[in-house]
Amino acid sequence: MPRWGMVIDIKRCIACWGCTIACKEEHFLPPKVFWNRVLIGETGKFPTSRKLIYPVLCNHCDDAACVEVCPTNATFQREDGIVMVDYNKCAGCRACIVSCPYQQRTYYDKNIKDAEYFPGQGKTEFEIIGEKLYPFQVGTVIKCNFCYERVDQGIENGLIPGIDDDASPACVVTCPVGARIFGDLEDPESTVSRLIMEKKGKQLRPEFGTDPAVYYID
Amino acid sequence: MKQKIIEFIKKISSPLKFIKTEKMGNKQNIIKSVKNIFSPSDSSFKPYDWMIKSTPQQEWIKEKGIFLWLAFFFSEIGAGLYFMSMFFQYRLGLILGWLITLVLGGSVHMLYLGNPKRFWRILTNISSSELARGMWVILVFAILGFFQIFTAKFNPFLNCMLGIICILIIMHGFATMNVIKALPSWNSTMVLPLSIISGIWVGSQIFQFMLSVSGSLASGFEIWSELFLLVYIGLIVFYLWGTFHSSEAAKKSINILLKGELAKGFYIGVIVLGIVVPLFFTLIMWGGNVNAGLIFFRMVFVFAGDLALRYLVMKSAVYQPLI
Repeated sequence: MPRWGMVIDIKRCIACWGCTIACKEEHFLPPKVFWNRVLIGETGKFPTSRKLIYPVLCNHCDDAACVEVCPTNATFQREDGIVMVDYNKCAGCRACIVSCPYQQRTYYDKNIKDAEYFPGQGKTEFEIIGEKLYPFQVGTVIKCNFCYERVDQGIENGLIPGIDDDASPACVVTCPVGARIFGDLEDPESTVSRLIMEKKGKQLRPEFGTDPAVYYID
Repeated sequence: MKQKIIEFIKKISSPLKFIKTEKMGNKQNIIKSVKNIFSPSDSSFKPYDWMIKSTPQQEWIKEKGIFLWLAFFFSEIGAGLYFMSMFFQYRLGLILGWLITLVLGGSVHMLYLGNPKRFWRILTNISSSELARGMWVILVFAILGFFQIFTAKFNPFLNCMLGIICILIIMHGFATMNVIKALPSWNSTMVLPLSIISGIWVGSQIFQFMLSVSGSLASGFEIWSELFLLVYIGLIVFYLWGTFHSSEAAKKSINILLKGELAKGFYIGVIVLGIVVPLFFTLIMWGGNVNAGLIFFRMVFVFAGDLALRYLVMKSAVYQPLI
């Protein structure tokens, strides 16, 4: 069984936010909800300061804190490592949000559901269609799902996630500089495994012991 | 032909006109729309500076999160009252403690949940979730407590069982917070001892007040109150000291409490209301001058102080920056 993971080359990333927008579009995310972010920070002091650009998303951790604390088993991990939320089981206790060291989860409340991209002008057709295709439930927690629909559909059609665009997450496909690489972490021959080995891929905050499936190289 | 071209231009320009005049209205509406997407008033919604510095925990204290703070408080003081009443075989205290824990604590817990109708599902993941374990403990407490109150049985086995269950309920809120490694100030070793003593301390104050009102001898219990207060003060100091020295993010949390934006609340709420004033009343009663009025006022201040402490511990927790 594969374990899907991602490698992000932070040297390549130009902070265009293409991934952020592609993700919003793919999942019809309402205003103020981001499953993909591009963090911009600084390190050091002038004249040796350095700009840091880190695209972040759910890390689909192998030892996910969110899965562990969920009292209803609404947050679960598939065999391929993708961490998902079953909206029909979520009681809205938000323990998963609090326990995530990466803060990649959002509580979907009535304010978010009612939010309009053009306030006071009613919802656009895009938003109305989105609500039908992605019927998030008020009072539950939502998060990045590694575009599992694309991955599953792609595999069904005989495609290979990470190689074929139709079987890869939207953020990977849309990245104009190829900074995101998706693939099977269990396969030592996959591009992601090779990049992690060759370029000494790092996980964000490994001290929490969550073993993220998203690696960064530079 | 000319007419057709004019019509065509009108047709293609009409949606633009519509957008300009009706959809957007004016410049202010455009700004409002952009603000709605990248709301600058709340940094949590900026996709670019999220978690690049220490980020405060909000879900369990902001907006509906307030209910969780109150729920933990009620469950714990109810269990504390039950615990003390059981030792003194004081049935009225048992009933009140049982009711506070289950009715007040339980209902406020429900108000917090996003989907209260699914609360029963919280019982399903006992293997790894502290919340699920807490729910089971409360369920067992409801059954055994009801049995004890009805039968007025105080045999050592039942007392021992319920004593352990009460301690577990007292710890429940902070234990749920304590397992969260992402928030080092909650993950501190001193959180659990502090929660146990604070639950017992507040519960014992209600118990002592009930004793004094019912005409029983509350002065005999005063020695316990003095002891609990001293231990409570000691554990607050240990919590601050131990947490401060545990990690960078935890140090940041304690700095927020002692020197930062929550400092006023800490000094007024925890130090003055929760420690100095109760200490003052305790010193007045030191020589045996124990009366219901003084006990009542001390209880009110202890309540306020403990609520403030719990609020501030929840509010001051911060996540480590990601980059």
